[in-house]
Amino acid sequence: MSDHAHIRSVLPHRHPILLVDQIEEIEHFDHIVTVKAVTGSEPCYAGMAETTDPRRFAYPRSLMVESFGQSGALLWLESIRREGRELTGSLIFAAAKNVTFHRAAYPGDTLRHVAHIEQIVGDNAFLRGQTLVDGELAADYGSVIAVVRQTESLDGRQAPVASQLAAIPRQHTMEEQ
Amino acid sequence: MTVTADITGTGRAAHLDELRELIAEVLEIEPEELTETGSFVEEYEADSLRAIEILARIEKKYRVEVPQEDLAKMENLLAVYETVKARVGWTD
Repeated sequence: MSDHAHIRSVLPHRHPILLVDQIEEIEHFDHIVTVKAVTGSEPCYAGMAETTDPRRFAYPRSLMVESFGQSGALLWLESIRREGRELTGSLIFAAAKNVTFHRAAYPGDTLRHVAHIEQIVGDNAFLRGQTLVDGELAADYGSVIAVVRQTESLDGRQAPVASQLAAIPRQHTMEEQ
Repeated sequence: MTVTADITGTGRAAHLDELRELIAEVLEIEPEELTETGSFVEEYEADSLRAIEILARIEKKYRVEVPQEDLAKMENLLAVYETVKARVGWTD
């Protein structure tokens, strides 16, 4: 259940933007606990100018939020799959609201995401949760919305979510504290 | 005597106020800015995602299911009120 191959069978994301390594715990349609290890070889650190300022290596907040969103989508899509259903279309990170950041993560840290499903309305999942680093609150997500939307592939057929590339986030309305 | 009145003790104006507050929060405007007939899309720059958010909040607050087909009708505050009224069974 918690192996990486399984995550890849559910999420359409691939290297270098697949930002969930493992599922630690899952309760379908309720919550999920996932981990993502941050390393110095992440693409986000490539090509950085030499610096002695350690703060420059803080893991980008945008990627932390994306990693959380993927965890929530994983919970949603996995829960649906368990019911024998499969959504077709493109998985989209639609919105993030009331997001606050509390501490940074650095290479060597592990992000632990706890994502809850608040509500599912049609092909829209409303999520909330937190990211922890070393047991400390790193980010709090008041509301994150993941959606699946129909997008005609080139040959006009609809493909299941896992076989399509995820779209670029359409809208971010993050409020920092 | 049979009491059929709304047990929450709210009437049309109160329901409209509740909905106005809920919708204004989603549209990120002040409740007083939202008129009864102002189009969400034309006047408040709502998109399809905002509409889904309004629907989600209504379902949660009033514990009803509103089919997504109803979304097309819910173009302003008054229309939302009428839709919710029919679903919840308000007798305002």
